[in-house]
Amino acid sequence: MSMLRKVASGLRGLFLRERVDRELEEELRTCLELEIEARMREGMSREEAARAVRLKRGNIEVAKEIVHAAGWESVVDSWWRDLRFAARALRRSPGFATVAIVTLGLGIGASTAIFSVVEAVLLRSLPYPDPARIVRVWELRPDGHRMPFADPNFADFRAQNRTFASLAEYSTWPASVSGGSEPVRVDVTTVSDDFFSSLGVAPFRGRGFAKDERRLHGAPAVIVSYRFWQRRLGAAPDLSRSPLVIDGKVYPVVGVMPARFDFPPGVAAWIPRQFEPEPSRTAHNFQAIGRLRDGTSLAQARADVSTIAHRIKAQYGKDVELFDASVAPLADDLVGEVRAALLTLSGAVGLLLLVACANVAGLLLARTSARRKEVAVRAALGAGRGRLIQQFMAESMFLSCAGGVLGIVIAIGAVRALPTVIPTNLPRQEGIGINPAVLLFALAATLLVALGLGLFSSRRLGAEDLQQALSAGSRNYSHGGNRRLRHFLVTGEIALTLAILVGAGLLGRSFLRLVSTSPGFHQENLVTIGFSPPAAKWSDPQAIARQVHQLDEIVSRLRAIPRVESVGLTGALPVAGGDDMATGNFLLLNGAPTPADLEGFGRMARDSSRVGHADYCVVGEDYFRTLGVPLRRGREFDSRDVVETPHVAVINESLARQRWPGRDPVGQIIEFGNMDSNLQPLTIVGVVGDVRARARFSPARHRLCGLPSARSPERQVAHPPRAQRCSRRRDHFGGARHFP
Amino acid sequence: MAEPSGLVQGTLDMLILKTLALAPMHGYGIAQRIEQMSQGVFSVNAGSLFVALQRLQRAGLIRGEWKATENSRRAKYYVLTRAGRQRFERETREWGRQAAAIARILGAT
Repeated sequence: MSMLRKVASGLRGLFLRERVDRELEEELRTCLELEIEARMREGMSREEAARAVRLKRGNIEVAKEIVHAAGWESVVDSWWRDLRFAARALRRSPGFATVAIVTLGLGIGASTAIFSVVEAVLLRSLPYPDPARIVRVWELRPDGHRMPFADPNFADFRAQNRTFASLAEYSTWPASVSGGSEPVRVDVTTVSDDFFSSLGVAPFRGRGFAKDERRLHGAPAVIVSYRFWQRRLGAAPDLSRSPLVIDGKVYPVVGVMPARFDFPPGVAAWIPRQFEPEPSRTAHNFQAIGRLRDGTSLAQARADVSTIAHRIKAQYGKDVELFDASVAPLADDLVGEVRAALLTLSGAVGLLLLVACANVAGLLLARTSARRKEVAVRAALGAGRGRLIQQFMAESMFLSCAGGVLGIVIAIGAVRALPTVIPTNLPRQEGIGINPAVLLFALAATLLVALGLGLFSSRRLGAEDLQQALSAGSRNYSHGGNRRLRHFLVTGEIALTLAILVGAGLLGRSFLRLVSTSPGFHQENLVTIGFSPPAAKWSDPQAIARQVHQLDEIVSRLRAIPRVESVGLTGALPVAGGDDMATGNFLLLNGAPTPADLEGFGRMARDSSRVGHADYCVVGEDYFRTLGVPLRRGREFDSRDVVETPHVAVINESLARQRWPGRDPVGQIIEFGNMDSNLQPLTIVGVVGDVRARARFSPARHRLCGLPSARSPERQVAHPPRAQRCSRRRDHFGGARHFP
Repeated sequence: MAEPSGLVQGTLDMLILKTLALAPMHGYGIAQRIEQMSQGVFSVNAGSLFVALQRLQRAGLIRGEWKATENSRRAKYYVLTRAGRQRFERETREWGRQAAAIARILGAT
């Protein structure tokens, strides 16, 4: 209450200053007049009385000043006056003002825009309860490479761990979903028990999966994302009316997740896992997520899973590929390698702001030198040091606030333009925007700049200095020592600016290198479309023949479209394929007979000198040409490679360097048996350039590409029933609507 | 123009409250009253007095209104508010307690 009165009264003093002034003056005058009259009644003359009263009570103007200075509004008032003075002074040198404001605006704008990205991607915590306890868990290979879980391994981890409140596995695949407004192709995730409870989120409408739906071959059920519910189900309140058809099977919708729930990122629907566990301990098909017990540290969890991993390794030896296990906070996992790139960029932009400040400081220095006489006169007239500093502060405050406003405008524009600039695989980018936290950052940056510049320009307001300036009069106050100092300062500042500029340039360059790392293929004019051919069992030759025909048909129809240059098929696209890239061991046969069965394969795989490890992916003819991956040696797949001919493979450069250093891998024979249960040996016919498989930030991995899919049905269908189609067009936009 | 000797910060406020507790008064009257009551020990200059009046007004302890004086001049009279009276009573009690305690300490033999 009293605070409110203080503010109100202060505001009155600020905005009705004249009235308040008049009132105070009148009051003071009345009081003095009353006292004078009282004295006169005692027999003094009017002059004597007035003199006595003035001596006793003090000068009326001084009293007014004292009363003014006592309220908080006087501080505001003096700042306001200084700011107006600064504005007037700056208007007299519009060139300086414009350059300074624009420079600061660019610096603050760039930092604010980058901070908005950092805030959304790195700083904001995940929208789940107690997010620090949510972790991802992986199997680890001896070389430190993370692998998804194989079913039996996961079961062991789940049963034996002592540090997890819950542990769940899930697997995501693109599926055709109909039943809503129209059939769509979206990502669907099968989840085990505890998936939603690990994340700590329940459906906001409907219910979670019932017990009957979570068992082997249980009742079908699907939970959809808020986005899917809004877009495809028309936000219908009654879920029971619109069951979904996912890959040909009917699923009643039982729940809708809240809008903030987005895990795995972009997934539209979740269905309970109802199929039997795969017995293989090397079929790494499942991602794992868990919630740590209350009070358990990450280190404890790591030790715990490590112990279990070692136990499994000791028990199953060569039958498992895992060597250890790793635990990482979900937030870190979602952000991944982007963190380093973003921090680099923040550093570069921070330095850029410093350069902007240094430049403006240089301009201010010149101004301060020119204004020394003015300052000296003011000081001589009684302005205190604090008052003078305040005046310089006001000027830098004015500049930096104007720069800050311009900066926010620039940042708003930049954030709007960001989606076209930042890599599409930057995680959590949908949260980027100008929000209160970002504005607060801009404000803090502005104030910091104002403070820094103000202190800089007022730092030489020493009394002796001023006296010198005053006594030097209008002459150039060019005392030898002083001039040398000034030259030293100017030189030092230029050197510093240069150093900072070089630093910013270097950081900017490394950021560019990080984000523009060539993915290994040409992205221009490349269009990709995903589709799922109906699943066909590899033991059914008729179904396979049908599928080969179907894929051939699709490819030839696409090739017939005008302006389509080339078409290729693949089981997993680079970058987008991400974690789904299959990975496994292969044998270097080198004349040895092909193993008769998987057991034989396993026996031979025990000899580490003849085992290699690589990502594996089935692609069709023309795939590398379509993607623009350069051919280094030999040939890529073509129409010669059909089911009946010896099976062939193409490997990438880094695998060639690793397994056949200094030799020609073309002609070598390998066997990739456990990837597709097909024991036909593969002859290497070509070497191609490296393609970054996962994110663009990750290093290229050894990679091997198997047979051309359309021509070798058994391998195509043994692979998961997904194929991606890439086609290269000659122009950017023209033909897009030709595609189904 | 300096503060009169012995008038510690905050004491002036209390003296003003005391003066106004007797009757509403204008600035000059308050100054005069304080001098009279202290038998000339305290003399108040205009700056200090009006800063204190502004401070008390902002704290909601007193309120000012323009009225005519006995010789029909317009002057701003200050009146104690309810909060001001409570504060005055509390401080008087506190002051008495402390003064008595100090007197006891100084008087102890």
